[in-house]
Amino acid sequence: MHMRSKWLGTVAFAVSAFAGAASAQEIAGAAGTTSSKAMPSFASVTQAMLEGAGADAKNWIHPNGNYAQTRYYPGNQINAGNVAKLKPAFVFQTAVTESMETAPIVQNGVMFLTTSFNHVYAIDAATGEEYWHYKHKMGPITTFCCGPNNKGVAVSGDRLYMGTLDAKLVALDAKTGKLLWEQQIADPEKGYSETMAPAVVDGKVLIGTNGGEYGIRGFVKAFDANDGHVLWTFDTIPEKGHEGVWATKDATGRDMHRDIDAEKAALAKDSSFYQTLGGGVWMTPAVDTKTKTVIFVVGNPSPDLYGAIRPGDNLYTDSMVAVDLNTGAYKWHSQYIAHDVWDLDATSPVILTQANNGSGKMVDVAIHGGKTGHVYVNDRATGKLIRFSEAMIPQENMWTLPTKDGARMLPGANGGVEWSPMALNPKLRMVYAANLHQPMTYHVEEVPYPGGKLWLGGAFKTIPSEQQWGQLVAVNIDTGKVVWKVKTPQPLIGGTLATAGDVVFNGEGNGWFKAFDARTGKELWKFNVGAGANSPAVSYMVNGKQYVAVSAGGNTQLDFKRGNSLVVFALP
Amino acid sequence: MRIALTLAALTLAALTLAAPARAQVPDAIKDKVAVCATCHGETGNNDNPQYPVLAGQTARYLYTELQDFKAGRRHDPNMDVVVQPLSRDDMLALADYFSKQKQTPSTFKADPAKAQAGQKKADETLCTMCHLGGFIGQNEIPRVAGQHYEYIKKQLSDFKARRRTNDAGNMTSVASTLSDTDIENLAQYITSLY
Repeated sequence: MHMRSKWLGTVAFAVSAFAGAASAQEIAGAAGTTSSKAMPSFASVTQAMLEGAGADAKNWIHPNGNYAQTRYYPGNQINAGNVAKLKPAFVFQTAVTESMETAPIVQNGVMFLTTSFNHVYAIDAATGEEYWHYKHKMGPITTFCCGPNNKGVAVSGDRLYMGTLDAKLVALDAKTGKLLWEQQIADPEKGYSETMAPAVVDGKVLIGTNGGEYGIRGFVKAFDANDGHVLWTFDTIPEKGHEGVWATKDATGRDMHRDIDAEKAALAKDSSFYQTLGGGVWMTPAVDTKTKTVIFVVGNPSPDLYGAIRPGDNLYTDSMVAVDLNTGAYKWHSQYIAHDVWDLDATSPVILTQANNGSGKMVDVAIHGGKTGHVYVNDRATGKLIRFSEAMIPQENMWTLPTKDGARMLPGANGGVEWSPMALNPKLRMVYAANLHQPMTYHVEEVPYPGGKLWLGGAFKTIPSEQQWGQLVAVNIDTGKVVWKVKTPQPLIGGTLATAGDVVFNGEGNGWFKAFDARTGKELWKFNVGAGANSPAVSYMVNGKQYVAVSAGGNTQLDFKRGNSLVVFALP
Repeated sequence: MRIALTLAALTLAALTLAAPARAQVPDAIKDKVAVCATCHGETGNNDNPQYPVLAGQTARYLYTELQDFKAGRRHDPNMDVVVQPLSRDDMLALADYFSKQKQTPSTFKADPAKAQAGQKKADETLCTMCHLGGFIGQNEIPRVAGQHYEYIKKQLSDFKARRRTNDAGNMTSVASTLSDTDIENLAQYITSLY
């Protein structure tokens, strides 16, 4: 960002300007499906396959690998001993040059990937040859804060499901790309939009919503996978009780400098703000299929920085939440930051695994990587916080309240760990987290609800004299200790992949896509993909050969160089 | 007669070629576009820095501003009056029309040193997190690349002085720490982007 040379800045602009022209066409152009070549066959994805995905080295049928969202690929053909020989197998170029956050889905040699503005492609996962290309017909109103992104499709049966920027859920025929139905999820004019990949389980499509920057009332909804009708809605902001327990400390025990008396007085006057209190759910929820529980994290309260207008703990913002898969009924929650005024919310997807409960016993846990820079380990049965990790990036002046002229506090508002999914190597007991270090000042501005406009209640500004960087960090989930860390020249955003070959893959904004030794963090291989590698990588096999795929479209939020490619690697 | 018609057709064709990106004005809003055109130009391009360029602006921003003028959240002596008869559908149609016009590149001659200082300030202020790289805009966040220099300066100054407050607090907060020199440099940089 500020350290970017003038030349790089010029290039970035040229690319962006071009992207803008292309984007306008992408929105305005003819929607629908274009077929390039008939897909030879499509192997239907059964519920049993979805549940067994964690042990399936052939396919990658969940955005984060499996319902537990470990992003742990169980094959080891590519491993720490031979990854240095990895070579590009093919490059697939899309029609949209704008940020890519897609986690491709691969089923039986067919890959499905998405781009900004809700295009979907089906391609041959071994050659890159295109089968079909679907463009969503975008409505006249869209609202989204951080780029026209899409994080991928969900697959079940013979169908794909995608959330759209104009807040719809669409179902496509996986073999032909034809639109089967679409369902309006919420009103985009009020700030609702979809960039997350949904999850499909037991005939239900689960999806949250963006909009925490627009004064929405967040939710997770379940839709019938067959016809798209709503089965249940869990509101992330309860009508009653959102004030919580008036917590004065965050989950790590640090004082948050709240004026509880003033907040209580304000709540007594008006508690109607629950309708605009935010609480978006940005990323695919985890599903505990054994206990039929959906577990996800809820984002920041609205407005981000101006808290006086929304007294109380603002439940269930900045929390991990568990609900019943069949009914959407509340099970438990664990709030990391009550009454957040820094946008240091919870976005990175929940991982389900087992970990030491602190008394030497292995228990079911749910893990989240926070924008605070901590990895949080929660008991999966009760939600109780078992431990939080050492800070993965510098923390300073926590929790200094925002001021009109700006108060400096670390981490900056992007984290820590942004939406970037973490990956887990259960054998090594480590999670791998992509972190940012962006020193910022926090500014507050008193603003009433503006009716669907971007509503930050102030601003975050970077500090020009302070360097920004990133850090890939391995954390032991049984102890919370940092095992290794690798500093990168730019803040990290996009997410990680771990494999049974004890390799960790991670991409950077400058185009470097790298492989690390999962045990030590030693860099084993790198390849420059030509634009920001700011999406989570996936791995799969076709005809007995393992591939690793990552999209290189850059990133809007951090303004990393845009591209339009998916790059796929294999051993020669 | 026939020759005249052919000539007219040719002239029309030539005009069309000269402005290839110009979209047809939909019949339903022809009269309304004519009113807008008085100040903003028929394609939303104009040379008077008092009136913003609308060509290529994001449709959502144009729609939002029209709504705000009508609801009294934003004020301008001319706009306050002309928006009154507009329905929601009119506003959406006008926004769609002007967003589809091609913006004419700015003829502003930027001072390279000031523009460079403006770029540095823009990076610090994280402008592109909302306005996108190249300031091309998205949704209700306007495209400001290539906008009139004087107009950008006036808007930033108005946000700073809170004369314009329909920004949900984002720009008033951002502008509060900008000096007059910062505003001048930013306007130099942003105008020169197209």
